[in-house]
Amino acid sequence: MNAQQLGENIKQRFAAKVIDFETLGSDQLYVTITPDSLVEVAEHLYQDQGCRYVINGGTDRRQQRDAFLITHFFAQDEEKIYIAVHTEVGADDPQVDSITPVIPAANWSERETRDMVGVVPVGHPDPRRLVLSDDWPEDLYPLRYDVAHDVHPPPAEGVAPERLEPPEGASVVPIGPFFPVLEEPAYFRVFVEGEQVVGADYRGFYSHRGIEKLGCSVLTYNQVPFIAERICGICGYVHSCSYCQAAERAAGIEVPDRAEYIRTIMLELERLESHTLWLGIAGHIIGFDTVLMQTWRMREPLMWLCEQITGNRKTYGMNLVGGVRRDIKPEIYGDLRGVIDKIGDEWAELAEAIPGDSTLMARLQGTGILTPEVARARGAAGPTARGSGLAIDVRVDHPYAAYDRVEVNKCVYDSCDNRARARVRLGGTIDSINIIHQALDDMPDGPIMAEIDEELPAGRQAMSAVEAPRGEVFHWVLTGAENRPERWRVRAPTYANLQCVPPMLVGNALADVPISIGSYDPCFSCTERMEVVDVNSGQVRVYTEEQFRAEYDQPGAK
Amino acid sequence: MITSKLKEAILSLRPGRVTLKYPFAPHDPEGDFRGYPELDTDKCIGCGACAAVCPARLIMIQDIDQNTRRMVRLLERCIFCGRCADVCPEDAITMTKHFELSTDSGREDMVAECEVFMATCQRCTRCYEPANPLDKIMEPGFRDDEIKRGGQDSPYEPIQSD
Repeated sequence: MNAQQLGENIKQRFAAKVIDFETLGSDQLYVTITPDSLVEVAEHLYQDQGCRYVINGGTDRRQQRDAFLITHFFAQDEEKIYIAVHTEVGADDPQVDSITPVIPAANWSERETRDMVGVVPVGHPDPRRLVLSDDWPEDLYPLRYDVAHDVHPPPAEGVAPERLEPPEGASVVPIGPFFPVLEEPAYFRVFVEGEQVVGADYRGFYSHRGIEKLGCSVLTYNQVPFIAERICGICGYVHSCSYCQAAERAAGIEVPDRAEYIRTIMLELERLESHTLWLGIAGHIIGFDTVLMQTWRMREPLMWLCEQITGNRKTYGMNLVGGVRRDIKPEIYGDLRGVIDKIGDEWAELAEAIPGDSTLMARLQGTGILTPEVARARGAAGPTARGSGLAIDVRVDHPYAAYDRVEVNKCVYDSCDNRARARVRLGGTIDSINIIHQALDDMPDGPIMAEIDEELPAGRQAMSAVEAPRGEVFHWVLTGAENRPERWRVRAPTYANLQCVPPMLVGNALADVPISIGSYDPCFSCTERMEVVDVNSGQVRVYTEEQFRAEYDQPGAK
Repeated sequence: MITSKLKEAILSLRPGRVTLKYPFAPHDPEGDFRGYPELDTDKCIGCGACAAVCPARLIMIQDIDQNTRRMVRLLERCIFCGRCADVCPEDAITMTKHFELSTDSGREDMVAECEVFMATCQRCTRCYEPANPLDKIMEPGFRDDEIKRGGQDSPYEPIQSD
């Protein structure tokens, strides 16, 4: 089945509720439906067509159409099709039916659309604020065209995120938002009964930088790749690559073969960097720092190599719309093969030693169980999904760059625990090395940048996905006037994977939470209350924030 | 268990010492490293191509009068992509290998200004013809407010003109 046939199927089934559909090649389908049929079409795609949910995006089209465009993205991996389901809601009544009750994976992105564009998902089971900071004004929606990109509302005092209440009898262990081990802020509230985790709540987006807004308001097509690359500090190349591919696809730009091979090689080098980094961090979290030291030592020559090829250790700055900026010179092929083979050899030794190490395996085996059902329902991607037996890998399912010309092995394990996710990455590293060798063998000569004769036409759209080290990166570009996208929607893999964490934690011992969250470590600094111990009587009194303020937070307080 | 620990020990011992002497010994970056972008002010013609492509939007332009254009670069924002060097029609910008850019004397160290004599230039942008239409200059003509606007965009104080 191709995109055209799938579109016809949907049209036939839903008749007048499908306003229109169009395709881009045989692998991208854009369906426009009436707002009242959104839930049934989404359910049909998810249940009957076996589609995987990707993300939701909202676009302010009040200037063009006096409406907001709500788009749900799906992937049909077996048939190699990406599907965008568009629906328009009137500007005077910005609300739309929530599909989260039928597809739990839509939970976050519907809330994000509400926060950013102001279209309310009606019937959403957990309509708390997600992305915006707690003191952001209620009626200011940053992604609307009439809100400036640099608006700074005044900060407010005494605001806090809405929290889920723990189950009866459970205590709360707060982890985050800031803690010494990792740089990234995230706030988990883990509900425990004794040692056992019975639930969890998450509040994140503390480092939301409004990158999509910048891409649609002040930057131009060729500036966006550099900002896209900074979405992630570890695997940024996947974002610039995915954005460029979407813009190229929308405008019908043919990327030269050599550029596609260079992108493939750089993506795999980045995967090597990321997996070696991850294993080191994972070792560090479970208190086995030898792994950290050794994997990062192995990784270092790779960083030098990337500096030689691209001019920078990380954040390569290689991509532009139409191709890549720098060639991989044939003189360097030898060095490149040498460096990755060295990593391959040492990695194989490490991968052989680790499974026999019972202290290490005790932390990984049987912990952090993520069932395939939950993984699918929450839209898990990449190694997280493949560790739960879901055989999805964008490189194979939706080939891009030169991945249709190299052999990629889907590395899948079905034990669903932390060990499975570690093994997916251990195996994926060896695969990456093989892919780089294949790409170097077949590397064609020729230009590395397409000739672009005119500006990109407005009103075209395309989707593009890239298999990042952490899973599927997805970008959608709707081209606009003024040399920049009208809307640029990004989904990083962690967006989906993080939604799997709360169910993944349930049933674990608290000690396994850090490695299950992957790279988060408990911190005791963030308590919601304050304990004051009277040293004379030994009496402990617990204050709430208000009580504490009332007593101490005034001039002349003791 | 024991064999695993032995394997791990061998793997750890084999490489020996890998730490570099840097910063006590100098460290030279690899071949095409992109460090501090140096502007040859004698070559700059004030076309504004660099400002048009800069992803971090750190190059501010102010037309002081008919004859003088001031280019201000807030280099603390630089992401070292080297796009300015790519598009400069006069090759006035070079990406040097200089990377040790921390300073203890405030942000002034990272602000570079130059004033370009524009003679009877009409700011038609024809002195910069982009190889790629996506790199075109978005705001042709005279500008007098970009520096002030830059001040509002960014957390920095606006730079006052004399």
